[in-house]
Amino acid sequence: MKKIVLLSFFILSLLLTGCWNARELNELGLTLVIGLDLVDDKVLVTAEVVNPTYSQQSSTTTGQGSYVKYVQGVGNNIYEAYRDITLKFDRGLSIVHNRVFILGEDFAKKGLVSQIDELYRDVEQRETAYLLVAKGGKAYEVMGINSGLEELPSNYITKIVENFKYNPKTVDTNLVQYIKQYYKMGHHSIIGTIEKKEKKVIDQTVEKTGTQDYELSVIGSAIFNEDVLVGYLNGNDTKSVNFVMNKIRGGIITFPTPTAQVEGSSTPPPPVEGEMPNKQKDQNLSSVIVIKNNTKNDVEMVDGNIKLKTKIELRGSLGEVVGNIDVAEKENIIKLEEACSKAIEDGIKRAFKKAQKEYGIDIFGYGLVFHRKYPEEWKRIKKDWDEIFSQADFEIEVNTDIIRTGLINTPINKIKGK
Amino acid sequence: MDKLNNQYEISYHQAVLLLILYRIMVGFTHLPAASILPGNQDIWITILFSTFYTILLCLPLLYLSNKFNSLNLIEYIEKIMGKTIGKIIGIFYVFFFLYATILLISIFVEILDAAIFPETPTWVTASMMLITSIYIAYKGFVAVARLGEFIIPFILVMILLFIILGYKNYDFTVLLPILKDSKFKDINIGAIDIGLRYFNILILTMITPNLKDKKDLNKIFFRSLIYSMVIASIIVIVVHSTLGIEYAKHVNFPFFTVTRMVDFGETIQGFDSLYLTSWIVGNIIKISGYLYFITVALGQITNIDNRKYIIPISVVILIIVLLLKDNKPILAVKQPTQNIITIMAAIFIFILPLIILTVYLFRRKKL
Repeated sequence: MKKIVLLSFFILSLLLTGCWNARELNELGLTLVIGLDLVDDKVLVTAEVVNPTYSQQSSTTTGQGSYVKYVQGVGNNIYEAYRDITLKFDRGLSIVHNRVFILGEDFAKKGLVSQIDELYRDVEQRETAYLLVAKGGKAYEVMGINSGLEELPSNYITKIVENFKYNPKTVDTNLVQYIKQYYKMGHHSIIGTIEKKEKKVIDQTVEKTGTQDYELSVIGSAIFNEDVLVGYLNGNDTKSVNFVMNKIRGGIITFPTPTAQVEGSSTPPPPVEGEMPNKQKDQNLSSVIVIKNNTKNDVEMVDGNIKLKTKIELRGSLGEVVGNIDVAEKENIIKLEEACSKAIEDGIKRAFKKAQKEYGIDIFGYGLVFHRKYPEEWKRIKKDWDEIFSQADFEIEVNTDIIRTGLINTPINKIKGK
Repeated sequence: MDKLNNQYEISYHQAVLLLILYRIMVGFTHLPAASILPGNQDIWITILFSTFYTILLCLPLLYLSNKFNSLNLIEYIEKIMGKTIGKIIGIFYVFFFLYATILLISIFVEILDAAIFPETPTWVTASMMLITSIYIAYKGFVAVARLGEFIIPFILVMILLFIILGYKNYDFTVLLPILKDSKFKDINIGAIDIGLRYFNILILTMITPNLKDKKDLNKIFFRSLIYSMVIASIIVIVVHSTLGIEYAKHVNFPFFTVTRMVDFGETIQGFDSLYLTSWIVGNIIKISGYLYFITVALGQITNIDNRKYIIPISVVILIIVLLLKDNKPILAVKQPTQNIITIMAAIFIFILPLIILTVYLFRRKKL
């Protein structure tokens, strides 16, 4: 009996050598970026698919080919468009490794949530894939551009989105974060943008081909009212929103350098419009690198009036000092800290004003703070929160602590002791 | 007749571990608690609060098992209610266990089909699971208990690992404000709903005569209940703070989705495979146990060796699972399968035992 059992196990192990209906690599079209557009009221899916037959070696001999290929399908919804691709492309798309969805502006303006159900329902799709809006254009227009060192355009896009940690002038919203924001009452969602930009000509003698004249930029963000794209924020405003939402993990703050007078006192910094204003002629700007940031938001209700409050505690290191100021003096460091705080304050006030007056929606999440602090009142006003937000007073307090000065102290343009 | 009653003993640790696993597998799989009342950020508190209702609802069975600690549920029902009525009620309990097992396997197959074997036919996944469970059930409950003693700590460590590794996806502010948006009535309804799903009391009443020390019965019940409720509550906190309150209700397998989101850069990913490993093993232990109890109950009602029922019952389960699963989704469409189990649980965990307890109190001098 034992022998029969062992024998049958042996035979079975020969027969059952793989998964049921396994899809082998040579049958799959691994998708890395998917673009979603609306064309004639239909969904156009553009997929960047890895070309496994391509290698650097073959390209040098033939001079042709690419690491990726682009395939397109049209349908009444996303799934139908995916399946349309099967009639034009020889491999079945596998979206297991898909890391970015680029939404055409038209697609995003039509209302996202009802259109992207498939992205959440499909078991192959990762919940952590980034969402980006192709600012001012179609998704397929920004796909295929690779101005980085990464061999795959998808990796190039993913890496520049993930550079959020170095530069918070963008947002790295993924599928789950988007849907979480969408469901939250009292907070409108913002997602990243992507834009094709022409590069400054670097070397006229080099033969320029294809996309080398262009680069992609993910600066700024797209604002959604419910699930409809209503507008964009520029890089600085996006950074301000990230400050209020306590998402800053790195990056720099640039501000006008307070000028020190000869006898140790400083001239007050020139008035600024906010962080990174258009540099005025002869204006010196310095930068602080963010080491740590902590933001606390609060809401106060006094006599029926609502005041939104934000307090920011920032720790940073001097990244660049341009101007006549001796940072070896304690009082000058304090002046730099104040100038830095002022720049953040002004930047946030400007973004706040934009959200209040231009869009009339709460993109900062003060509604969530109100809900937490005044739960009973919230039940009454939650439907009108955006209107209340648009009328609310705003108070901001920023404290900057410069705890490092880098490898040098006094700026190199200033002779010590003079 | 079943060998378990005569030869094997189940230790305190084995019993506690098994009861914890049987409970948390629900949260580990489809987390129905994410959709119960009050349906907001206070669900984790509702789960903790449900401990009170669970104890209350399980009291009749717990009392009876303490009184008849040398008999299992089917045996003492027969003793209290008389042979004929006792056997009829016993058959009802068999049907309840059968229904619970069918639902359990259907959900198991559903997640397998959805998550890892989308193209594998249901009969293959269901058969593979049942063949493994048949083998374990054949070896008796001691095999289930020993396997559990070995495997369950591993599963608990895996859950802990997922909870720790997912830290960067957590946003605990979604859990605020606490107890401000919920009505007291809703929390109570939610807590009763959870309390009614505590099938473990039936498992405990079935293994009572085989406990190494029968005095441990209450200790096993309370400890396993509290531990499992705390773990379930933590699972809800993790799911809510990762997916948000509303999206968690939309997801069929919330904890699975949470593990899919765990990563450390590009190199360390794919924790869902670890999840699936522990989840499959956990389900095998649970299904083997349920299969075993169905056959033991049948064996005791008919006075036939329980092992003779294992294969026929498994075939019946397989056929019904195939009919159910190839007909409609179980988790996404809750009516009627999920609603029936709640009603059945109310009858078999509380109402029927309460009637039996009343009869016992009247007849106790004669027994």
